[in-house]
Amino acid sequence: MDHPPRDITISEDPSRDGHLPPDDEPIGGTLDAGGPERPGIGEPDDPRLTMPAGRVLGVVTIALLIAALLNSEAMVRAGEGMKPSTTRDVVLAVADPLDAATGAIGLHLPREEFDRLFGQEDKTAPGTELEAGSAAILRQRAREDEKPTWRQPTPARPLDVLVTGDSEADLVGLRMNDLDSDQLIDIETVARNGTALTNPDFFNWELNARQEIDARDPEAVVMLIGANDGFNVTVAGEVHAPGTLGWETEFARRVAVVMRTFAGDDDRPVYWVPPPTARDDSLDDIYRSQNRAVERAVESVEGARYVDVYTTINDGEYTEQVQINGRKVLGRQSDGIHFNRDGALIPAELILRAMAKDFPAL
Amino acid sequence: MSFPTIEFAAFFTVVLFLNWLLMPRPKAWRVFILAASYVFYGWLDWRWVGLLVLSTVVNTFAAQVIGRSPSEATRKRALIAAIVFNLGLLGTFKYLGFFVSSVDDALGSVGLASSLPIAQVVLPIGISFFTFQSISYVVDVYRRDARPVSLGDFAVLQAFFPHLVAGPIVRVNEFVPQLRAPRDPRKVLAGPGLFLIAGGLIKKTVVADELARRIVDPVFGDPSAHSGVEVLIGIYAFAAQIYCDFSGYTDMAIGLALLLGFKLPQNFDRPYLATSLRVFWHRWHMTLSRWLRDYLYIPLGGNRGGAQRTYRNLMLTMMLGGLWHGAAWTFLIWGGIHGGALSAERWLSGRFDTSRVPTWLAWLVTFHVVCLAWVFFRAPDLGTAFEVLGRVGASGPTELVTPVIVALAAGAVAMQAVPSDFWRRAEAWFVARPMAMQGVALGLLMVVVDAAVGQQGVAPFIYFRF
Repeated sequence: MDHPPRDITISEDPSRDGHLPPDDEPIGGTLDAGGPERPGIGEPDDPRLTMPAGRVLGVVTIALLIAALLNSEAMVRAGEGMKPSTTRDVVLAVADPLDAATGAIGLHLPREEFDRLFGQEDKTAPGTELEAGSAAILRQRAREDEKPTWRQPTPARPLDVLVTGDSEADLVGLRMNDLDSDQLIDIETVARNGTALTNPDFFNWELNARQEIDARDPEAVVMLIGANDGFNVTVAGEVHAPGTLGWETEFARRVAVVMRTFAGDDDRPVYWVPPPTARDDSLDDIYRSQNRAVERAVESVEGARYVDVYTTINDGEYTEQVQINGRKVLGRQSDGIHFNRDGALIPAELILRAMAKDFPAL
Repeated sequence: MSFPTIEFAAFFTVVLFLNWLLMPRPKAWRVFILAASYVFYGWLDWRWVGLLVLSTVVNTFAAQVIGRSPSEATRKRALIAAIVFNLGLLGTFKYLGFFVSSVDDALGSVGLASSLPIAQVVLPIGISFFTFQSISYVVDVYRRDARPVSLGDFAVLQAFFPHLVAGPIVRVNEFVPQLRAPRDPRKVLAGPGLFLIAGGLIKKTVVADELARRIVDPVFGDPSAHSGVEVLIGIYAFAAQIYCDFSGYTDMAIGLALLLGFKLPQNFDRPYLATSLRVFWHRWHMTLSRWLRDYLYIPLGGNRGGAQRTYRNLMLTMMLGGLWHGAAWTFLIWGGIHGGALSAERWLSGRFDTSRVPTWLAWLVTFHVVCLAWVFFRAPDLGTAFEVLGRVGASGPTELVTPVIVALAAGAVAMQAVPSDFWRRAEAWFVARPMAMQGVALGLLMVVVDAAVGQQGVAPFIYFRF
């Protein structure tokens, strides 16, 4: 719906009746008949469309109240999805008790019906291994003696690859496609923006991995995640801040849980790509810690591979300038975290190289 | 801060209340609305507020000099200085990176190693809009079409949060008189205001984002993986997506301003019903097209210098309009297609009786020229754009072309044919309902829209990056 205060019909197009607008009216020209050059401004208001300001405020307040009551669960999710900040704390401080109260009297049910109607899958679930489990998973060892063999791709039957993770997955998936000149892989990219392994109340990657495997059954999975993993984790009642040893171990455990879910029973290889270096030093420390954690986790999961885009690029020193095909280009987005379109070629290339070890045809 | 967020909902409720509470006290209101707008703008990065303030101060000073000086030479010098400042600002933040890498490429191609650093320049949101607004202000004052206004008035015009980040591009004569006339709190244009906000929200979240996710992004991400039918529907879907995304934003901006008691200029007027490119540009991004006309095309000479000069000016204007969106060959070609088509239309209408062309055919041709140009606008690079066009005839499966996609894309175009009187009657009907019913209806709409959006959230508006 546009906001036309007056009607314009197609027949009023001046070029239709041979009357061209006068000179100096190039791009649209002034439409003599009915063309609203400055609609609304300076026109008298139609009293049928006006309301007193107090009433407008009342309508807006009621609307937001209704939305908050019926949508409290989504509000909690939205709050959980925010980066650690005062805004997040405030949203959750309001939304959590509201959700508890409205949930108790069934006010969440209409929203659940709407979700069902729109085919939305629940991406959070209590009691998963991702949220609470034993670090013993990290002590298991992937078999090195008998390597599983996977179907090799051909142009007639390319490899079905799921590229997923947080927002970093988007451009990297796109660039993997660009590099696949022989059309040996069929890439489906599903980026889940703003998600993290340390924030399962917003998005549970273990649950999502199960859903993705059930729905798509890919032959290989590429997982790029970690940029949003700035949340504390709690293990046996003890809170660990990002980058600490306890956090790193718990993060490795969570990575292993999701890796195993994706990998299934040697069903497919999983190429896990933790974040590259970051411009911000404190973030960079967390990303380095994540890389160590992933390196540790792959040893415990059959078919899991660590793709290092941290130390491989510029020896682990953050840089925005990169050389691509002999050209010096900007490789990062302005946030100092994500690769840009040019820069995404680098992880795409590294991932394809890692895949080629399992799929020599690539 | 983006409109469809929890933060903005809370922010706007407080602003709406204080806006009308302080309205009888203009000085206090100015301070308040300015502070609120700066909070809105600085929500992501406070440094951007400094840039906005700098732009406001410099342009106010220039306008004062231009408006007060009796010397034509001084007026002209101040105008040039202001334009250089504004274009310099835009150039630094928007085009420096492109310029440096182009020079670097050029030097590299002749075997000269360049040591130019390729710097990461963060583009402040809305800089293209407020820069053009500033230029129109100083030029209007220079032309004596407008009087210089106080720093406070211009600061409010520049920063007024509903239009700050993605337009409409407002002129001083449209807005400042509203600051001086008392806003009547008994007569808020709530009917169109609430309808525009609700309609904009639906356009953005239900139509634009769905089309992007389900077909446009896959097709433009990897054209080679899609059949001709999917690619063609993907192109139509992008036409619908960008219309719903951008006009959805401006609908919300205009609606929010109406609830605060202010009218902003219209930015879209059923553009896809146009039967010529000229009419299309009268209806698409109207505040940009009139800016290009008044501050670029006419100063270039308009159509006063004969046919050849007119075509040249049309091409230049549209190509620079393309570059306004960003430093890329794709935008330049987008502008070139529009400039070329406008020139061709002008040439044809001077030689043939174009009124004899059936309306449906004129519409069909216009719409497809616009869609052709959108391919270049959407594609990340020229190679992808040509690949998309090259795939149009390709055979293959049509899995992405679902009834939902076709309905959304066709609906976005067809909705423009609904007579404005229908919306006017619907708004009047809504205004006459009890307050509780109005609130509940809008609240339910928000719940439904949020359910439609789901976990992935609302994608950023396309025009935020310009």
